[in-house]
Amino acid sequence: MTSTPAPIPGKIFQLNQERADLVRDVVAREYARKAASETSLELAINDTAFSEIARLESARKNPALDHWRELYRTLGRKPLAEKQAILKRLLEEAALDIVGNFDPRVYEFATRVLPYGLSYIMRPQHQGPNLTSSLSERIQATGHIDTLRRLAEKGTVILVPTHSSNLDSVVIGYALYEQGLPPFTYGAGKNLFTNFLLSFFMNNLGAYKVDRRLNYALYKDVLKTYSTVLLERGYHSLFFPGGGRSRSNAVESKLKLGLMGTGLAAYINNLKANKPNPEIYVVPATLNYHLVLEAETLIDDQLQKVGKSRYIIEDDESAQAKRIWDFVRQMGKLDMSMVIQFGEPLDPFGNRVDEHGVSRDMRGRAIDLRKYVEVDGVPEHRAQRDAEYTRELAASIVRSYRENTVVMATPLVAFALFELAKQHHPQLDLFQLLRLPDDTAFPLATVYAVIDRLRERLRAIADRGGILLGQDVMRLSTEALVDKALKIFGMYHTRPLALREGSAIRLVDLKVLLYYHNRLTGYGLEAALASEVTV
Amino acid sequence: MTHGVSVIGGGSWGTIIAHLIAENGHPVKLYMRDADQAAQLNATRRNARYLPDFELHPRLLATASLEDAASGAQTLFLMVPSQSLRLVARELGDHLDGSHILIHGIKGLEPGTFKRMSQVLREETSCRKIGVLSGPNLAKEVAAGHPSATVVASAFQEVIDAGTLLLKSKAFRVYGNDDVVGTELGGSLKNIMAIAAGLAHGLGFGDNTKALLLTRGLTEMMRLGIHLGAQAQTFSGLSGIGDLMATCFSPLSRNFQVGYRLARGEALEAITSDLNQVAEGVRTTKTVAEHAQQERIYMPITTGVYRVLFEGATPKDALKGLLDVGRNPNEQDAPRRDISIL
Repeated sequence: MTSTPAPIPGKIFQLNQERADLVRDVVAREYARKAASETSLELAINDTAFSEIARLESARKNPALDHWRELYRTLGRKPLAEKQAILKRLLEEAALDIVGNFDPRVYEFATRVLPYGLSYIMRPQHQGPNLTSSLSERIQATGHIDTLRRLAEKGTVILVPTHSSNLDSVVIGYALYEQGLPPFTYGAGKNLFTNFLLSFFMNNLGAYKVDRRLNYALYKDVLKTYSTVLLERGYHSLFFPGGGRSRSNAVESKLKLGLMGTGLAAYINNLKANKPNPEIYVVPATLNYHLVLEAETLIDDQLQKVGKSRYIIEDDESAQAKRIWDFVRQMGKLDMSMVIQFGEPLDPFGNRVDEHGVSRDMRGRAIDLRKYVEVDGVPEHRAQRDAEYTRELAASIVRSYRENTVVMATPLVAFALFELAKQHHPQLDLFQLLRLPDDTAFPLATVYAVIDRLRERLRAIADRGGILLGQDVMRLSTEALVDKALKIFGMYHTRPLALREGSAIRLVDLKVLLYYHNRLTGYGLEAALASEVTV
Repeated sequence: MTHGVSVIGGGSWGTIIAHLIAENGHPVKLYMRDADQAAQLNATRRNARYLPDFELHPRLLATASLEDAASGAQTLFLMVPSQSLRLVARELGDHLDGSHILIHGIKGLEPGTFKRMSQVLREETSCRKIGVLSGPNLAKEVAAGHPSATVVASAFQEVIDAGTLLLKSKAFRVYGNDDVVGTELGGSLKNIMAIAAGLAHGLGFGDNTKALLLTRGLTEMMRLGIHLGAQAQTFSGLSGIGDLMATCFSPLSRNFQVGYRLARGEALEAITSDLNQVAEGVRTTKTVAEHAQQERIYMPITTGVYRVLFEGATPKDALKGLLDVGRNPNEQDAPRRDISIL
């Protein structure tokens, strides 16, 4: 990945010219749908008012609250023309709030500055002239990249990566740039726009705003229609289908279907409009890190949600500044590259797509996709049918995530250590296990034996195409592998997760070990430890 | 949506299904592997091998060509034995696309892979609109016009609609649901319980024992079903307890016969060669028992039947063992509850 491929032009460079038209298109479509009858029109407005009242009542005094209450009380008495005007206004407000912006000058600037910023995070001591090339070694993009490039020229691409960290969108943006791909538009939480610097870049790089506080159908429909319109017009898009960062660090297995269904909706609309390139391609990708900066807060969230009263929060005295300093100081000593693995592309029905953009069934036959959506020979939307197709797409994405997970050193070692603790205390449930005293230790020889056995299993799974092995896991000796993981475990988190003491490894932070461990659950690896209980 | 209907498989149930569809006013093609049989059916309006006394509707036309059966058909009913489905579907797949509706009426799992029939169809064709037809449907009773009912399950409403439109009549009701997994498993697993019921009957036990086996058998079916993603309530419907009752109460059921004759001291080989075909439940028992052991799912009745069929246990010992069910290892020390399905 030393030479950057020739850039593919992207529709996103036209976003600003099309902006007003996009809003008009979205509003017109949703208006036609919701104003089809007086009842559905009233329902749309009433649901909005009701939901906003419920949301704002719990907040402090809010001037909008009175407005919504007034509307809620008087809606039924208003004449039709006024209700139509209200609906139109609500739709416009929602669309304008969501729609993104793209400034090519900011993009130009960002692509020159971003590598430095990212490189600073990924490997701060390298501030010499070869900075960007060192960054491209830090972020390894592998898998079906050539196909992705070809499909981006042929049709519209939806990239659906796993989501671990707030760094993800930046890392993906950089990887796409490096591959000569144009920037992808994506929905970013509105809360991220409050940061001045972040907001400046997102506001000018095609990100659109998603306000997660708004719960009413009108808003969500406008959001979905905006995404549909973008895809129809050829804007490559990025969705994180897990609906937020993975709290447990397990690879996403349940996906949000709402936005994902917009791919199929756009495809059907393209067919109806007889577009020359109606195809929508869905490309799953996994992001594989050695270290996730937010690991501690994420696993805390997860355990509180799952454990409720059984989860007892330990006193956490984190010294933020010192941690970052330690991180920066130690990071340069290690090879900390992360891997973006692009999976085989899919169509909106979840079939795999070959390198020529042709959908294939499981026996390799070419598929005429149009047949899935035709009703008496004409392409049509059918809500129930299309929801089911989208569920099948989600299942294919989940399968792709599992098969394209790259096993890094840290999850493997964390898996071995946590499973050892579990097998050693079979009578404890998860929440009791997390409170084990921090003098729990296992002999190195035992840990090595477990890791050898896990690697053997992982190799067998990888041979069947069920998972991918990272460079470390493939090449390093067991000792070096453990050594590397322990170093990474010691460099950023509040406490080192595990320490080598003499000829034993002491488990210090089981909670965060659990987080890294979880990446490898669901592969049946636990059985590899079954006979290792004698410690 | 339903223009053109074909039924693949000319056994007794496939023939009856084709006949019902024809009777409802739809021309239907019936695929039979044997060209002579197809020609004979067209000439005599009878399926000499499986339903010699039953006159078939004139709108039903037999064919021995899969391609012919597929061409012009929008909805296809697959009614072949479980072990043949994969190859039939593979060949059929060359003539099908995403617009076709496939409904199978096969009560079994694929030996060796533990796959359900809808999964096999999904793997061998590009079709998505797939459904299953299952319920307490003894072919001869349906043919005789006795009031009966069945279930068409699919994730796609249009599959349920097509199945209902084609099959329903005054004497034959069609219910729909969206739990394909639960519906397929109900039809497959009840065959194991029918063997167990036959064993109990053969040992001279009465209705208390049979009720016990049926009820706990249903629990066992649900336990496996939930593990595989089925909805528990599906098992209390026609394709679950409905089919279980019909099979276990019918002394004519092949699976019941297997159990009964084993209990009377006959050998399995003798019984199966006598029945002229392997009862589907024998194969299912093997597939399910092995899977349950591998996945550590507690299925004492299935295990007991497996021991009689394949490990030479005496029916008495096995039945005693399976009635003295011991403890579900997953429940640890919790008191055993009648409806526990964990």
